[in-house]
Amino acid sequence: MPECDKPIWPCAMTGAAACLAGFEGITVVIHGSSGCYYYPTTFLHAPLEGTFILENEVIFGSDERIREVIDGLEGTSNRIAIITTCIPALLGEDIPSMLASQDVLLVDSPGFSGDAEAGYRKALECLTPSVNPETPGINIDGACLFDPFYRGNVREIRRLLAMAAVPVGTVFCADRADNVSDAALHTIGTNGDFRSGVGEYLGGTLGFDEIVRTFEIIGRKFEDSDIDPVIREAEGEEERVMAACDKFLRRSDPPTVAIFSGCSYALFAARTLKNYLDAEILCIGTRNEPDAVVSPAGTGFPVVHAPGMNRVKSLIDTYRPDLVLGSSFEQSVSRGRGFYGLIPPIRGRVQLAPHTIAGISGSLSFIEDLLNECRDRKKNHPQKLF
Amino acid sequence: MNLRPLQSNSCRHGGCTLTGALSATTHVRDAVTVVHGPKGCAHHNFSLLHTTGLDNGELILPEIISTGLAETEIIFGGEEALAGVLTSVARQDPAAVFVLTTCIVDTIGDDVQEVCGRDYGVPIIRVPTAGFLGGTFQDGMNRALCAIAATVPSRRADSAASRAMGPCVNIIGEKNLEFEVEENYAEVCRLLDGLDLRVNVRCIRNCTLQDLSRLGMARLNILRDEELRPVGDFLKERFGTPYVISYPAGLEGTIGFLQSVADGCGVPGEGAIDREEEIQREILAGFQDIAGSEILMESSPGSPEALLVAGELVRRLALKPGAGGIRVPLPISPPVGSAGVRRLLHRWRCTIHA
Repeated sequence: MPECDKPIWPCAMTGAAACLAGFEGITVVIHGSSGCYYYPTTFLHAPLEGTFILENEVIFGSDERIREVIDGLEGTSNRIAIITTCIPALLGEDIPSMLASQDVLLVDSPGFSGDAEAGYRKALECLTPSVNPETPGINIDGACLFDPFYRGNVREIRRLLAMAAVPVGTVFCADRADNVSDAALHTIGTNGDFRSGVGEYLGGTLGFDEIVRTFEIIGRKFEDSDIDPVIREAEGEEERVMAACDKFLRRSDPPTVAIFSGCSYALFAARTLKNYLDAEILCIGTRNEPDAVVSPAGTGFPVVHAPGMNRVKSLIDTYRPDLVLGSSFEQSVSRGRGFYGLIPPIRGRVQLAPHTIAGISGSLSFIEDLLNECRDRKKNHPQKLF
Repeated sequence: MNLRPLQSNSCRHGGCTLTGALSATTHVRDAVTVVHGPKGCAHHNFSLLHTTGLDNGELILPEIISTGLAETEIIFGGEEALAGVLTSVARQDPAAVFVLTTCIVDTIGDDVQEVCGRDYGVPIIRVPTAGFLGGTFQDGMNRALCAIAATVPSRRADSAASRAMGPCVNIIGEKNLEFEVEENYAEVCRLLDGLDLRVNVRCIRNCTLQDLSRLGMARLNILRDEELRPVGDFLKERFGTPYVISYPAGLEGTIGFLQSVADGCGVPGEGAIDREEEIQREILAGFQDIAGSEILMESSPGSPEALLVAGELVRRLALKPGAGGIRVPLPISPPVGSAGVRRLLHRWRCTIHA
């Protein structure tokens, strides 16, 4: 039975919008009702357009309405991308024929076709990204508009590549649209749940171990690069992290932790907490289904798929962790436990600066925030273990 | 954003019927709402309701279950998925199960009425929503309120039980997604207190089905705004309860509200009105520093009622609207009561003195 209690992850349509709206030079049109339009607009904080179809357009066809909206967008030099929601997808209108004379990209990614990751991949495929051997540098992928860390991640990886004297190719998906078909031959990742699949993947940037490994590969692939400053900084900062965590452990027991997120961030968090704080990872509840690329297999962590709120609550109630990593949804059922916002939505606080979780700065921020959370918890709940 | 502010297109932006209905049904805290459709529809709304709840300091998770229709159910029909979910939810023994439909369910033609008509051992309350195919956000909310009221025994305000309760009113159709929902309610309670009236039922905000069973026992229904008129009419027909059309808007509107409520409940209103007029004089006296200022009222997206209230303040404070004036904010909904006007004037003062 497909029953899902309080679903806590966006649909494919939202994922497609997150992908396309990240590209400057593309105007995204949500082909559907106002209800379907408002959610991605507020979630992505991106300037989306909508067809806002009504019942008569469902009955008699929406071609006139689509044309009206597209005509209204004339004058911008942007390429128009139309994302179909559930009802237009079901109606099966021949939208490509309707718009044959115009350069309009159609992404058939209705909500019922899957989760956000599926929509994101579908939209990126529709853009037909390709590499250009003449394009220098390395692409960055894993940027997704609704990831609260995406801006900070891109900024941090740009910084590290600049330190290594390697130019940045295309950023998937937060770049100029014309760079999609002009990507570099190699790619490094940030959030592995939103991989582009473009170019040869050299590795990720979540955690000191991945950063060092990936930049060593870069060093071998790019003769003109100078990865030493990156490696030195990573090693130096890791030592600071180890010292801070060691100091914490002199007076406190390691925290017990439940992690709720996409696979990529969840495994990074688990690995980091285990390595530096000897934390006990009680459970990992993933929003998305693990795939072959980001797989918990062999990590030794207890991973389950938790796409609904009752499942999340049940896991927290069962394991009673000291720390919960997740979204505002998890925070709502954490009953005063320590909390770290790892996945959207993160509500109830103002967040203006770009936070990062990838790269060296990302690992530092992650450990810093968690140590402070643990210290605050200990002050407020001295009877607790940590 | 292609909002196309043409009159003919205004209904395009009326929001989702499902969201409107959910904004009401999820506030019946001992019931569960089943959304029959793809889980994305349920997620969008769950996230929205959760966020607005957090904004209002509530850490309550709305009880929403999705039938999670995917391509298979959409091709072969989702009726059995719905029946399965209702069977599963009934085992939790909720006070009731609301069944809301999405536009895709109406398009594929599931016989939801037949599935809901089966015996699950708990009351099943079907609310005919269908996303945009069912109308607007407001239509969904109105339908949910009427569907719930239709299940309440038709006891009336003149019953012995009601007389024992003393004079009271119902609040109908609070905007649960509104940022100031509790502040507006508090202001209405303050005004009612001046008339020695109390609130019987908040229909529907943070209540149980048991609370709602008292719906017919009030002397008067106070609608949140005029768009709830079909609900007011329905309740009048079912329980014989008259209604006032909206919360008080603006200073004069607040005095008018006190008079209407007093008349509707058959209680004297003069004392409360005199006290309120004194409060309003004090409020205006506290903003004499901005009297005569040149202002420009933001054109979007205030309602006509909000514009009327702004016009009243322009008049009472001798403000000078004009293209060269300082742009002051206008709320989407008019400020409620004298307290709402005071808060709006504070915002104007900050802008004028910025």
